[in-house]
Amino acid sequence: MDDKRSRFEAQVLPHLAAAYRYARWLASSANDADDLLQEAILRAYRGFEDLRGGNPKAWLLTIVRNCHRTAYRQMRQRNFVPLPAEQEPDSAAMIAQTPDPEVAAMDRDRQRLLQRLLSALPEDHREILTLREIVELDYREIAAVTRLPIGTVMSRLARARAALRAQWRLEIEGESCGMP
Amino acid sequence: MECPESLHVQALFDDELAAIDAARIGRHVEDCTQCRKLLEELGEVRALIRGGAPPERIPAALRVRVMQALEQESAVDLAFTGGGNPPNRPSKTLWIGLLSGAVGGALAASAVFLVLAGNTGKPLIDDVVADHTRSLLSSHLIDVVSTDQHTVKPWFAGRTDVSPVVADFSQQGFRLIGGRADYLDHQRAAVVVYQHGPHFINVFSWAISGRGLPANTTRNGYHLAFWKVGNVGYCAISDTGWGELQTLMRLLQGLE
Repeated sequence: MDDKRSRFEAQVLPHLAAAYRYARWLASSANDADDLLQEAILRAYRGFEDLRGGNPKAWLLTIVRNCHRTAYRQMRQRNFVPLPAEQEPDSAAMIAQTPDPEVAAMDRDRQRLLQRLLSALPEDHREILTLREIVELDYREIAAVTRLPIGTVMSRLARARAALRAQWRLEIEGESCGMP
Repeated sequence: MECPESLHVQALFDDELAAIDAARIGRHVEDCTQCRKLLEELGEVRALIRGGAPPERIPAALRVRVMQALEQESAVDLAFTGGGNPPNRPSKTLWIGLLSGAVGGALAASAVFLVLAGNTGKPLIDDVVADHTRSLLSSHLIDVVSTDQHTVKPWFAGRTDVSPVVADFSQQGFRLIGGRADYLDHQRAAVVVYQHGPHFINVFSWAISGRGLPANTTRNGYHLAFWKVGNVGYCAISDTGWGELQTLMRLLQGLE
């Protein structure tokens, strides 16, 4: 194997799982996520020399994000606007397959609740929560991916968490009042 | 009015504070009811998100598709630079090539380790990292899929050179998902695989002969924790946080 390829496999491919997790949350369907991941990996490979001494994980996720933005812009120009991340998680893609149908139903309820709450938030809040809690980046990595100063990352994260919590309270109170 | 320390409390929660600051903010939280409440709420929000976002593995077909695309792309590179690899090699050859290359690399690294014998531990670390990465890449994470320690432990008999500690710690957040045999330090090592949230943790175990173990370290973004029980060396490796890795280590040691 050539040198570029083996360096790429050693430095970048360990973060394939994180890139996939991120892609699943950006794209509006599992198929789109697959395409997004492949496109991002190829673009990363072509631009590998740009990484130099940087953080490979943040660098790869930045590329995933840029690819998504490009695809999204193209779709909007063609007047297709994807629905907000209302993705039905296909069980085949998940390792946490529980044999107990009751547990599985509860998991699905939790997933739907989260989807609902997140889709009520502004895009920048949704993004920062995804990067921190689902892709599990640290502040520095989030700052690199979103190109925000670290102070903004911290304050936006705090606001996004408070907003999600408020939305959640609203939902709980709505249920207890017997509202739909 | 919001407490001026609230962003620091959030940073404490996110494990972003250095030890000194963490201690200071920890003391502050004890005295400030507002920040105590904040810390609690942050935990609830995290549980809400992570509970609703199950860890997803890349489907095997997608992994193969990405690797094939990469293969074609690098073949184009080589064609331009006059390299020898023909383009569009069938993917089967690619996988065999990848695997034999990695095993060859492991053999070479072990040989270097013996020659050095001065115990820098580096080749062993390289081996563990290579085995771990390969297990995640090649969908050869698990040979025996089971959440039952009484299935996993007997499976190792005859397949590996040691009989490791196997236990399920689902209650503590570390779910036993299976085991596999892997090659490490010239022997058939036993690997017990745990899942913690979206992370996989490989716990290697092998017979150590007199040499000490390397110190805990971080390589390529993976944390490696080493310990030994009798003459069996253990190494837990994952991209999860240090705290979690050490919790699992303590759980495993507590069993002895």
